[in-house]
Amino acid sequence: MFRYLPEQASKIAPSVDWLHNWITDLSVLFTVAICGAMVYFAIRYRKRDGVDHETPRIEGSNFLEVVWTVVPTLISIWVAYYGIVIYQDMREGENEALVINAVGKQWIWEFQYENGKQTVGEFVVPVNRPVKVVLTATDVLHSFFVPAMRIKKDAVPGHYTSVMFTPVKTGTYHTFCTEYCGTNHSGMLAKLNVVSEAEYERWVNDRSDDLAKLSMTPAKLGAKLYSDKGCVACHSLNGTRLVGPSFLKLYQQDGRKLADGSEVKFDEKFSVEEYIRESILHPAAKVVESYPNGLMPAFDGQLSDGELKGLIAFIKEQDGSAPAQEEEPASEDMTAKLAAMSLEELGQFHYESKACNGCHSLDGSQIVGPSFKGLYGKKGELADGTEYVADDAYIQESIWDPNAKIVKGFQPNLMLQTYKDQLKERDIQGIIAYMKTLQ
Amino acid sequence: MSEHAAAADHGNLNYLNHETTLWSWLSTVDHKRIGIMYLFTITIFFIVGGIAALTMRMELASAGPDFLTPDQYNVLFTLHGAIMIFLFIVPGIPATMGNFLLPLMIGAKDVAFPRLNLLSYYIYVVGAIMALFALLNPIDTGWTFYAPYSTQTKSAVILMTGAAFVLGFSSILTGLNFVVTVHRLRCPGMTWDRLPVFVWALYATAVIQTLATPVVGMTLLLLIMERWLGVGIFDPKMGGDPVLFEHFFWFYSHPVVYIMVLPAFGVVGEIIPVFSRKPLFGYKMVCYASLAIALVGFLVWAHHMLVAGISDTSAIYFSVITFGVAIPTAVKVFNWVSTMYKGSISFDTPMLYAMAFIFLFMIAGTTGVYLATLAVDVFYHDTYFVVAHFHYTIQGGAVIGLIAALHFWFPKMTGKMYNEHIAKIAFVLVFVGFNLTFLPQFVLGMEGMPRRYFDYLPEFQSMHRLSTVGALVNGFGYTFALLNLLFAWIFSKRKASANPYHSLSLEWQTQSPPIHDNFVETPTVTDYPYGYGTPVEGGAH
Repeated sequence: MFRYLPEQASKIAPSVDWLHNWITDLSVLFTVAICGAMVYFAIRYRKRDGVDHETPRIEGSNFLEVVWTVVPTLISIWVAYYGIVIYQDMREGENEALVINAVGKQWIWEFQYENGKQTVGEFVVPVNRPVKVVLTATDVLHSFFVPAMRIKKDAVPGHYTSVMFTPVKTGTYHTFCTEYCGTNHSGMLAKLNVVSEAEYERWVNDRSDDLAKLSMTPAKLGAKLYSDKGCVACHSLNGTRLVGPSFLKLYQQDGRKLADGSEVKFDEKFSVEEYIRESILHPAAKVVESYPNGLMPAFDGQLSDGELKGLIAFIKEQDGSAPAQEEEPASEDMTAKLAAMSLEELGQFHYESKACNGCHSLDGSQIVGPSFKGLYGKKGELADGTEYVADDAYIQESIWDPNAKIVKGFQPNLMLQTYKDQLKERDIQGIIAYMKTLQ
Repeated sequence: MSEHAAAADHGNLNYLNHETTLWSWLSTVDHKRIGIMYLFTITIFFIVGGIAALTMRMELASAGPDFLTPDQYNVLFTLHGAIMIFLFIVPGIPATMGNFLLPLMIGAKDVAFPRLNLLSYYIYVVGAIMALFALLNPIDTGWTFYAPYSTQTKSAVILMTGAAFVLGFSSILTGLNFVVTVHRLRCPGMTWDRLPVFVWALYATAVIQTLATPVVGMTLLLLIMERWLGVGIFDPKMGGDPVLFEHFFWFYSHPVVYIMVLPAFGVVGEIIPVFSRKPLFGYKMVCYASLAIALVGFLVWAHHMLVAGISDTSAIYFSVITFGVAIPTAVKVFNWVSTMYKGSISFDTPMLYAMAFIFLFMIAGTTGVYLATLAVDVFYHDTYFVVAHFHYTIQGGAVIGLIAALHFWFPKMTGKMYNEHIAKIAFVLVFVGFNLTFLPQFVLGMEGMPRRYFDYLPEFQSMHRLSTVGALVNGFGYTFALLNLLFAWIFSKRKASANPYHSLSLEWQTQSPPIHDNFVETPTVTDYPYGYGTPVEGGAH
């Protein structure tokens, strides 16, 4: 009776439901028995014709008291015992579990994988493998609840807590925040995608998102961050008032009134860019009139300069003129700029903008890949034992197809394999020229 | 006993009309008048809290934003919870019916400290006014004030927690007063094993009020210190720990559940024997069960935190101990039902409410088992299942208990009889409306709907809509029931006799309404108050 629990998508779900349904059946049994007895007594022993009949002065029964103390006690012990056993089973496979870090903040869930991949409002796990979600929060209490997996745990600022589950069915499942966290608590949802192991591997190693960011125009990057960072939850693009001000025509609005009664004036000392930048990094600095303070998380230290510029460009674009942006309107500008650069300048530009600097140092220290210092013309041994000489052809091959030759002592598969589409011959020549300056 | 003597000696003089000026009410130290003043005051807050609830249910009738903003909704559920808990149901039965009945039931003239009793009423009023002022910048933390949200939100947290702090003192003083009254003022022959079960329940309640309330007082003070002075206690940004707040808070707020519901148990234990014409089955067990619930109630607080990040060891401990509350509660239910066996049962409105109470409390109790069970609570924690469960205990238990008590002792309090037909119609509306409101919420919980949600996924809509319809019916039911009583008091010409239900309990042995001094002469008691029926072999008390 009363079977309304959601789909059983985790290994533990059938056990939880088994115990749950036992409690339901016992509850129904006891309620029907006791209330049935009450109703039966009420009808059977009702006062008839308005006159009390004689009643026996029965004051109690020690036997019955013992029975109805002992029986519920035994049932309670049984239920409590299985409640504990199944609770402990939820931790099964903790040592080999896939670990995902999740951060709750008003009002988004952020996920980070072991290889650094980050997502917001959505996460992907492989089917049939134990998953451990390590939880924390940055502002107030949140709680991580996936009904189909039968798991829940609070995300507590200043603490690390964790939940475990082993998904057994592929599909998409709801994740809710179940600890009240303020204005948009009911909108703090996330999507859980359970996929096959192979699909998961593809997904988690697909860093094209990160890569795409590098080659995007600032405004496109901003548009992506707008949804990735959860701005979308509180700032509309069409003028609708949500929790925070809409981005529509926000860029043009000079003289907006602030909560403290002053006005924002844009001039040479305080540009509109400066204002938006400040509002993103330190939201409490200037709060617009009639909007609550303290709701927006401070993004100080969480956005790179490029990302910040991207967001500003994106907000600038929301001038109400065009519904959507055409592909790379600004790229002509860029092409001309790049063409005007010397080869060394071009190489340095790519080294910085394509994030080579994340893995290749300039000072000879080893990060993930070989340092660029003294690389050009270097001789050495490859992982397969053969010799190599770092000439122009070798460097071009290593950028376009990083796995073709792996230097001994370094790992394959770490470097992105998509540079071939982004870096043309002149770009390669530029990088080589830049390397030559690093002898 | 002295019923006829009382009527003869005092004519029409009673506690209501021996003085009639407004000042005589405001400055009264008569426990009966203080009880009546509490009754009117908490009824106002019941109405305010009820309107907040109905407004929420209207918003939730369909998915998506309707006529409220999320912030307004968050304020509403906070006000509903805070008002209903701190201003209505905690004072609830003890401060109203308890104040009125306790001295009458033990044959005393008044409580032990009558002036302290008036003071606790005025402390309550001060707390209530503070809470009303807090409405100007309404608080949105939920009635639980969980940190660090409560240290960060801009709403009037200090004023509202300050109000709850002040209200706590009212509760402590009432508890203290009752404990001393029961110990010191019992009339000759009123031994502990002759005390009415309602007095036992009030006594157990008073012990909790006195011991647990100071803890929430300290907690709220710490919260105020954190917000005001920036002392880092709960907010991790200042080096505090939010889980500590939860421990402090529930150390009071779980026992407070028994402050709300134990007196209702007492009410049911009084009503069923009278309308069954049978002794209360297992009287001593019922009394001891109250004490057991009060005691075990102190040891289970962290079952509100099983998924809050406490260690597995504590989670297991609190789960197991929580089952310990289920046993004495079950014992009470079995004894109430057995009382009706071979009775001569009449279905006056109080009896209908008492029987409804048993049914509703069975649901409240059995759904509590899901939440005590560790693996199942992981799923149900903070879902609508919990919302439905505690409304079955608090509304189905404490509020229905209070309404039953109001109908049962109405003739004693006012000297009038109410319209039985309207009372029964109101009962049906309350009963049907209540179940229609909260049974669908169990289903919502099973489907995984989290609580405190302004908006929800479309698949939850049909159950939400049923629940809203139920809430409206429920609201109408309470309105009819209360108006019926109010009109009867003001307009009814039907005078109540001293003892219309032929009860053996002491409060019915004086006139209705009672005289100012309760009894003409101090009564002497020779038996417990449940000696109904013809003695049978082996049935001795």
